[in-house]
Amino acid sequence: MEILNKERRVFVLGGGISKFAAERVDGNMRDWMNEAVLEALEDSGTQIADIEHSTTSYFSDHFDKQLKAGAIFHDNIGMCPKPNVRVEGGGGTGGLAIRNAYAYIKSGLCDSMIVFGGENMGRQVPSDVAQQFIALASDTDWEVQVAGFYIAYYAMMMTAHMDKYGTKEEQFATVSVKNHRNAMYNPKAHYPMDITVEDVMKSKMLSYPYKLLDNCLLSDGAACIVFSTAEWAEKNAKSWGSKPTVELTGTGCGTDFMRMADRPFPDPGIIHFRGKQSGAQQAYEMAGVKNPREDFDCFEVHDAYSGVELVTYEDLGFCKPGESGKLAEKGVFDLGGDLPTNTSGGLIGFGHPVGATGVGQGVEVLRQLRQEAHPKRQVELNAKRGGMDSHGGTGTFCAINIFERRD
Amino acid sequence: MGLEQINTLMEVFTAEDPMPFEHPEGDPWKDFREVMRIEWKMDFTYKHVLGKYSKFFIELANKKFVTTECPGCGKVWGIPRPLCSDCLTITKWKELPGTGTLIGYSVSHFVPAFMKVEKPYVLSVVKLDGADTLFTHQLRNYGDSTDDIKVGMPVKVAFTDEKVDHPLLLMHFEPA
Repeated sequence: MEILNKERRVFVLGGGISKFAAERVDGNMRDWMNEAVLEALEDSGTQIADIEHSTTSYFSDHFDKQLKAGAIFHDNIGMCPKPNVRVEGGGGTGGLAIRNAYAYIKSGLCDSMIVFGGENMGRQVPSDVAQQFIALASDTDWEVQVAGFYIAYYAMMMTAHMDKYGTKEEQFATVSVKNHRNAMYNPKAHYPMDITVEDVMKSKMLSYPYKLLDNCLLSDGAACIVFSTAEWAEKNAKSWGSKPTVELTGTGCGTDFMRMADRPFPDPGIIHFRGKQSGAQQAYEMAGVKNPREDFDCFEVHDAYSGVELVTYEDLGFCKPGESGKLAEKGVFDLGGDLPTNTSGGLIGFGHPVGATGVGQGVEVLRQLRQEAHPKRQVELNAKRGGMDSHGGTGTFCAINIFERRD
Repeated sequence: MGLEQINTLMEVFTAEDPMPFEHPEGDPWKDFREVMRIEWKMDFTYKHVLGKYSKFFIELANKKFVTTECPGCGKVWGIPRPLCSDCLTITKWKELPGTGTLIGYSVSHFVPAFMKVEKPYVLSVVKLDGADTLFTHQLRNYGDSTDDIKVGMPVKVAFTDEKVDHPLLLMHFEPA
């Protein structure tokens, strides 16, 4: 794949997060979007009047009870009559929205874009209804009708991984321990917690092999990032030159069959995320990444469930297939390890307001590369590169994006 | 009159600033912390068409498991599809024997709101003999303990004589 105009580059000017929480009764999605936008504008030193285009990132019309909600978010921040587009790919929506900013700016359709994402997941419906809404993102004719829902789908994938590679429940429990712990140093996180593998193992069994604490969270919240070309930033962004420069250098996207039953068997079968493997390959090639475990300082990965984070390590090339459990036990992906993952706390500790999640990953990587993270979760910068991985369904839509610090 | 005029009113309360750590100089939204919550009920019934998949469900009622085979590339899809997505050839129906192998499973102690299932229940992915891809359904009649369920065990399609709310529930898997 030939990358377009190499002279035209896309920079990450600033980000904002409106706190992720179990239920944000203080407002609704519109309010959180506003908060995230205000913070991103301040962080980037930009004025909304100058920004040329927006992208809306949210997933579910059911949770928000509002079709084309992007129109509201866009007009709330005074963007009319400028252009807006909504991106949607389930849990991968936010990652795809960042990719969309790259495509629009790189192509010259605009020089600047504000990407805002959020989700109203909270406690406005009981958790069994919430699981029903989320299950509608699997095949409603073939999977949902047999009482399929996402925890059970991922649990089936994990029993197959356990059978093939000998992966242990205690090994994926370490992911939950790490991500809840990392969230303790993120004041915007939904579920910071100091727990042990035993706590995870003893938590309520939801769908074997996944216990309550292996699961990500249903969160309310929003996130926002401002992107632009260097020329636009020089003219319009006060942060340009005063804060470390961060560039969006790689983006990849992959897909797989909606129903995991349809995927080529036995490889990837129901074990691996094929779309993640191919999406990562594209992004790595663009950014010149050869050895991901060394070439990144941090990586936000889509830990919808603790085991998913392990499989993701394998599919993003952090280790060989089947090795992830042992490496996680050794602390390779902890703060201070070879490649700290989910320094924000991830979907398990930071939270998962779906449309905000992938955008929030970008904000975290931006903070890390600018060395603005809480000192206890700040990583050491060597490669000066951070990655993010966001997916929807059981790996149906996968988006991998890469930010790099340019000093 | 007043708030009691609102039939759906649940509560009016004062919300706290969720990010006080961001606002050392005071809550910028302090004039907007009074919050009302109402009940909003939505109930829909759809007239849902099963389209070109319909024969699968009709044959389940005849206690037969049929799927589709591609006359172009020969691929047999575990879950039927009218158009082979490997080579874009229109497929043909084919009956399978209904025997297969368990590839993955989960044991759920939680049921989403719309399903009538006794807990715990087992969702499984099965490689049916004669098919190239897999099929997802519940595994039932697995005995006294879910500990006996193992990846690789032989299973078969079983049919029910009970009334069901969705035609896919005319079948399930059982240990063979």
